[in-house]
Amino acid sequence: MNRVRLFAWLGVAGALWGLVFAGISSLDYASHLDRGLHDLHCSFIPGAEASPVAEGCRVALNSPYSALFKQQLWGGVPISLFGLGCFSFLLGHALAIGYSGPRTSRGAGVLYALLAGSPLVVSAIMFSISWFELGTICKTCAGIYFASLVLGISALGVLVGSWGNRESLSGRSFLLAAVVAFGMLLWVLAPSVVYASLAPDHSSLVTECGQVKVPKESHGALLSLPGKSPRKHALFFEDPLCPTCKSLHERLRNAGVLDRLDVELAMFPLDSQCNWMLDQPLHPGACAVARAGLCAKNTGQFMDWAYANQEDLAAAAKTGGTLLTQFLSRKWGNELTTCMASRATEQRLNRQLHFAAANGIAVSTPQVFIEGQRLCDEDIDMGLMFALRKLAPELLP
Amino acid sequence: MSSRFRQLLNDVRDPNGSKEPADAQFERPPGGGAPRSGLLHGAIVSGVALAVAVGLIGSSVKSASRRLEARGSTGAQKVATAQEAEVAYCTADFKTVLERVLHSCGLATTTERRGCKPADIKTFAAIDDADFNALFQPLKERGGVIMFDEGSDVLDEAGQKLLDERWFARQGARYFFVVARASRTGTPDQNRALSHRRANSVLLHLQQLGEDSEEELNQRVGLLWLGNEYAQLTGDYCAWPRSREQAPCAEEPINRSAFVSWVDCRL
Repeated sequence: MNRVRLFAWLGVAGALWGLVFAGISSLDYASHLDRGLHDLHCSFIPGAEASPVAEGCRVALNSPYSALFKQQLWGGVPISLFGLGCFSFLLGHALAIGYSGPRTSRGAGVLYALLAGSPLVVSAIMFSISWFELGTICKTCAGIYFASLVLGISALGVLVGSWGNRESLSGRSFLLAAVVAFGMLLWVLAPSVVYASLAPDHSSLVTECGQVKVPKESHGALLSLPGKSPRKHALFFEDPLCPTCKSLHERLRNAGVLDRLDVELAMFPLDSQCNWMLDQPLHPGACAVARAGLCAKNTGQFMDWAYANQEDLAAAAKTGGTLLTQFLSRKWGNELTTCMASRATEQRLNRQLHFAAANGIAVSTPQVFIEGQRLCDEDIDMGLMFALRKLAPELLP
Repeated sequence: MSSRFRQLLNDVRDPNGSKEPADAQFERPPGGGAPRSGLLHGAIVSGVALAVAVGLIGSSVKSASRRLEARGSTGAQKVATAQEAEVAYCTADFKTVLERVLHSCGLATTTERRGCKPADIKTFAAIDDADFNALFQPLKERGGVIMFDEGSDVLDEAGQKLLDERWFARQGARYFFVVARASRTGTPDQNRALSHRRANSVLLHLQQLGEDSEEELNQRVGLLWLGNEYAQLTGDYCAWPRSREQAPCAEEPINRSAFVSWVDCRL
């Protein structure tokens, strides 16, 4: 088989593969527009059963890189939609090149190489973000990266195969190239436009999750996380071993929102060792880490460290021995671990838990109140930037 | 394919009217119209793929919108909310008595004078002595018996220690009960006053800890003084956690006491 044709068919296969994975990813994203929590199709095998865990895909889904226009549209426009349009277009383009085969000119090969290579560039960027920023690779995304790689190989193969078919380029050749490129742009944008135009408006829902009942803790037991230039007051209930709290903390930190907030923090460890509201420890060791947070001289530094080392802390706690205490004392000194064991610290943590009870917060973390207005649980992940824009636009850069 | 688009392709293919293609991108294959057919197929496939993709996405978004509307009309999802503790011994009977005592002895409101004397307890609890004591049986591990000298309301060091231990082991409890008694030595009037002073000694110590405001203590601490008239303890209570653990214990000394405990019940 002719080389151009061979690589064009490879491109068809890559585009089909990408189309399937971009479709799965987009459908998973769209299903969350009902503000519910849904299983994700996080697998290398198309059509595999959705999973409630899907940790890597969940991290990617809730990351700030998963969508564009997150402040304007609840959840934003998922970038997989752009991929969906792109792969749809390239499927046809690769097919046309396949038909053309050995007669494909150098110009046509260059154009195909540019267009079919573009997903690889985007995928390389997204892979880097995923690997270096999020520390995980979502399997569905990996399917798209693989499709992009296949298309990249196809692009190179077609380019090399058609390089010898030199032809004189006219203005009309450029016009046709521009038409094709513009067509691809339309294809890339079309799914996003349809998605954005049909997506439900969540504006009225973000303010429907209630108000704080008891704004002040009468014993001054709460912790303080003062921002650099605070514009709003916030009350956070967090568990230092809760992954969602970590994610929220990091997203708010990266978006510069924490700098604009004057946060009062109440520890709400989901650990039955100190929290009577649970029968079983959801995050074993969270009470101990929360006590450490109460004893830290700089709460902000401690919370940043605790979230950055969350997996290690949780693993140390699960051993059930003194490993967690050793871990904490190695970083923060014996002074901290002595303080952790004190009655005053236990009392302070207990007061924070009673403060949570007085406010009747949901037994889940994180719980966030901005100027007394509760941020809905549904808005903490995908809809965070949208909700912040509605509740307190001053907090956004 | 529309005629205008076909015209464009023809123009691009042959800008000078030549039969040879100017741009080999859409060159003819041997045997006739295959390139045009390739382009056509490509365009159709791209279009169909996009249409299917957009259709699926649109359908999914609309479906999510419908679920969102349905969710709004059926109310928000029920989730557990943070509350004070409620444990197994909070039976309906226990709570009924507790509620009567709390309301009648001024804990439920801050305007009334706090505390209940024996006559009040008998009236409000509306149960006999044995049943009253039986209600507190589940508090054996949670509570403690603070013992006093005969005729004294002085809280000794061991009593303070036990009280502190119990007070700081609040966990999720809402109410702290102090049930003071006196032994049968002396007249009922004297014993009533003595048990009242013992209850007050406990309260005074809690106030001196300085952890809570008076209003908070008012809302949290229930004082009952029973004298020797109601719900006397039997010698079995000597086996309960108590101050002066090494001291001899019998029915007389165990009633020279104040029983203290957090109660893990919501009312």
